[in-house]
Amino acid sequence: MITTNSYVLLSAILFTIGGIGFLMRRNVIVTLMSIEVMLNAVNLAFVAFNRSMPKAHTGQLFSFFLIAAEAAEVAVGLAIVIAIFRLRRSVRTDEADLLKN
Amino acid sequence: MLKFLTTLFPTGDFALLAFILGMPLLGAIVNGLWGQRLGKQAVKTMALAAVGLSFVGAVLAFLVLDREASHHPGEHVKLSWLAWQWMRTTGAREASVPIELKFSVDALSGVMMLVITGIGFLIHLYASAYMEKDKAYWRFFAYLNLFIFSMLILVLGDNLPVLFVGWEGVGLCSYLLIGFWYEHTPNATAGKKAFIANRIGDFGLICAMFLLVQYTGALDWSGIESGAGSLVNQADQAQVHLWPIGGGQFQGVLAFLQPKNPLMITGATAVGLMLFLGCTGKSAQIPLYVWLPDAMAGPTPVSALIHAATMVTAGIYLICRLSFVFVLSPFTMAVIACTGAFTALFAATIALVQNDLKKVLAYSTVSQLGYMFLGVGVGAFTAGFFHVLTHAFFKACLFLGAGSVIHAMHARIHDDAKSQDMRYMGGLRKYMPYTFWTFGAATIAIIGFPLTSGFFSKDEILFKAFVNHPVNGAAAHMGAKAAANLWQQPAWLGPVVWAMGLAAAVLTAFYMSRAFILTFFGDFKGWTIGRPSQIDAHAHDDHGDEDHHHEEDLKAPGLAPHESPWQMTVPLMILGTLSLAGGFLNPALFAGMFKDHKPPMDHWLEPVFEEANKAIQVLPDVETAHHKEYPLTAAAFAAFAVGTFVAYQFYIAKKGAPAKDMAEKAPGLYKLLVDKWRVDELYDATVWNGADALADTAISVDQSFIDAIIARLTALLVAAFGTLLRVFQNGVVHVYAAAMAVGIALIGWFVVLPRADVVTRGTGNGDFVLEAAPGMGYGYRWTPEVGGKAQDEKFSPTSTSIKIHLEADKTQTVKLEVKNAFGLQASQELTLKGPPTEKPQPEKLGAVDLPSDNVGKN
Repeated sequence: MITTNSYVLLSAILFTIGGIGFLMRRNVIVTLMSIEVMLNAVNLAFVAFNRSMPKAHTGQLFSFFLIAAEAAEVAVGLAIVIAIFRLRRSVRTDEADLLKN
Repeated sequence: MLKFLTTLFPTGDFALLAFILGMPLLGAIVNGLWGQRLGKQAVKTMALAAVGLSFVGAVLAFLVLDREASHHPGEHVKLSWLAWQWMRTTGAREASVPIELKFSVDALSGVMMLVITGIGFLIHLYASAYMEKDKAYWRFFAYLNLFIFSMLILVLGDNLPVLFVGWEGVGLCSYLLIGFWYEHTPNATAGKKAFIANRIGDFGLICAMFLLVQYTGALDWSGIESGAGSLVNQADQAQVHLWPIGGGQFQGVLAFLQPKNPLMITGATAVGLMLFLGCTGKSAQIPLYVWLPDAMAGPTPVSALIHAATMVTAGIYLICRLSFVFVLSPFTMAVIACTGAFTALFAATIALVQNDLKKVLAYSTVSQLGYMFLGVGVGAFTAGFFHVLTHAFFKACLFLGAGSVIHAMHARIHDDAKSQDMRYMGGLRKYMPYTFWTFGAATIAIIGFPLTSGFFSKDEILFKAFVNHPVNGAAAHMGAKAAANLWQQPAWLGPVVWAMGLAAAVLTAFYMSRAFILTFFGDFKGWTIGRPSQIDAHAHDDHGDEDHHHEEDLKAPGLAPHESPWQMTVPLMILGTLSLAGGFLNPALFAGMFKDHKPPMDHWLEPVFEEANKAIQVLPDVETAHHKEYPLTAAAFAAFAVGTFVAYQFYIAKKGAPAKDMAEKAPGLYKLLVDKWRVDELYDATVWNGADALADTAISVDQSFIDAIIARLTALLVAAFGTLLRVFQNGVVHVYAAAMAVGIALIGWFVVLPRADVVTRGTGNGDFVLEAAPGMGYGYRWTPEVGGKAQDEKFSPTSTSIKIHLEADKTQTVKLEVKNAFGLQASQELTLKGPPTEKPQPEKLGAVDLPSDNVGKN
């Protein structure tokens, strides 16, 4: 049987991968994807913990809210990426420095 | 009709005043905000309608007031309207003084109200043609309407603060209108000069308000009147100590400064002098008169309205309004009379030699204002105020006439300075008949031709100056016996100021005749300027637009000067008629023809000045004084005759030759007069340079200390800190995210690792309480004696403290172990020491053992 521990471990691994991806990569698209991975790791943890409490649905509800928030965030994020790309012909975060100097 | 009005507007809630005040304000707002888009026709209609309706309202209010006054003969009838409870302040004896936005009209302010709106309307009408070609037409009328509004607030205000609002409002409008053509620097400078000179006066007015609140506990007219008694309180504390300042005592090395008797003045004198300082600023008296001649830089209708007919008489109005305060101090009255007489004479001497027509009129205004102050200063309040009225008629007429002349001259020679210069005028009688006749009417009024308005008012002032003797009005408040010890005016003062006034009258007759002759008689001398002459009346020149003319061939013959349009001549005719006939409102010379020997104006204003007139004596007695009236009138007539005859001899009979001779014989004096006694230069050298020196000192302190040390040091610190912080804020999101991750890790480390901290409290006698610091999910285990057994086997979250008792001189080491939710452990040991045996004094022992963390952690 797969225990809650295994799910949480998987969730932790996914979160770390997402976090490292977010910190290391300079491509905005990849950065956004890394954020998605992290958020989904959290979703997984929510659902896994909820499994040990069969009468409550708090974890599942939370993950639904998170999915909705993610969708909104991606929509805004991609719009910004497109705007930056039009302006700079690049989607690299370190090249988006219009406000600097 | 009147009955209906009295029903609609009861005496205590006379809201018609809101209409009178509101119309000009509405005009100012509409023209000020939208005037540029409305176009000239609409601006003109708005401005004229606003003042015209206000005048209609004022006439109605005046009729209602007259009706009320006739129903209550002898009483001081007042129609008032409370707009708003403005604020409260604390006055005498800690009483709360309400300051209300309240307006009222009585006999005195009623006359002022009519003058302001009536003459204001005529001048608005005049200006609608005079300013026709100006590109800022709308701005001019917005300012002019705002001025009428402010001036109405000034005269209708029921207390000093409201009057002060109007006082400042007219000052602002005066500034704006003097500098109306602000593209020329001298105009802007003249505006600033007027504003600053007025500020000095306003300082006095504010001080007077503070003093009045402190002494009388009121700022509204009736409140001040009823509390006036406390102004003459002779007690030491109730007087104003001038030296030592504030009533102290000089000691030590400064003891030589201590006078035998401290120099004190009564509250009444202090208030009176401070109010008078305000009046000298607004009404252009020595020493603050210098702004008025420069104010002629503004458009001529402004000179007529603000700087001749209305605003500059605000000082006289204030003195009349608070006459009952001024008569409490004979010293103040003497100061006012002397200043007035001296200003009248001084300004008249300057006017003798000026060549600029408006400058002559400006100095004449200063001189006439001096007459008014002379009048109120000798206690002839009605006569002084009557001169305000007649002066408004003839001086407005003179200025408007001068404007008409300048308008015509400018159309011919296109030069701002030369078109005002009388040396280029002459012979205008032929070209401008209406202007000639009206200017002539106003001139004979100002020089006192018998039976004209100026004759009656000036004659009355001079007569009263000779016979009046203001005694201390304090007698009513403190008894005649005590009042007899106070300072009294010497008996010779009256004749002296009378002589000065008479001399000024001679000079007035001379310089006004001179101006009139130079302008309208002889031959026109303006032909030589600009272009050659051609008397050609078939075309009506388009004037005012200079650029247009510069392109024309200036060698072509120019046109003759022409009469002004009807909008300008009709006001001239009305004002000219009033200048001639206005004197019959108060022909004091023929007082015997009226009921109770009181001419109409005297009768009308009697309730207002009733209180003040009690303090005015007539020397040597009423009967003798009455016999002096005709001889004194003869003297005034002689003054007029001499001045006019000399002017005629100089400028008509001998064509100006004697004047030239005299200027050549005494070039120094002539130059001094042309330079206006060099008072401006004197002020430049003293006040101006003094202020400059102060400013220079302030600059060097600012630059060497404040800028150099304080400001730069602060800036350096901020810059250094900023440089440091800038390294961290590099704009790369990943670095921020990494910093966040590190931060989270640090917080996590803090949460995950347990900490064992013990706080020790000694209660004396060897009793100790040990408490463990709290933490999330902590369990505690205590070992009272290291090496011994633990208190409990398990970690318990509830056992946060432990009690230990130690015998004397014993030491013991206690151990605390902490375990958190992650199963991690931490521990701390500390050594406790029992009290020493020798001194069994619990308090002291407690003190030694009192437990600091240091002890605990050893």
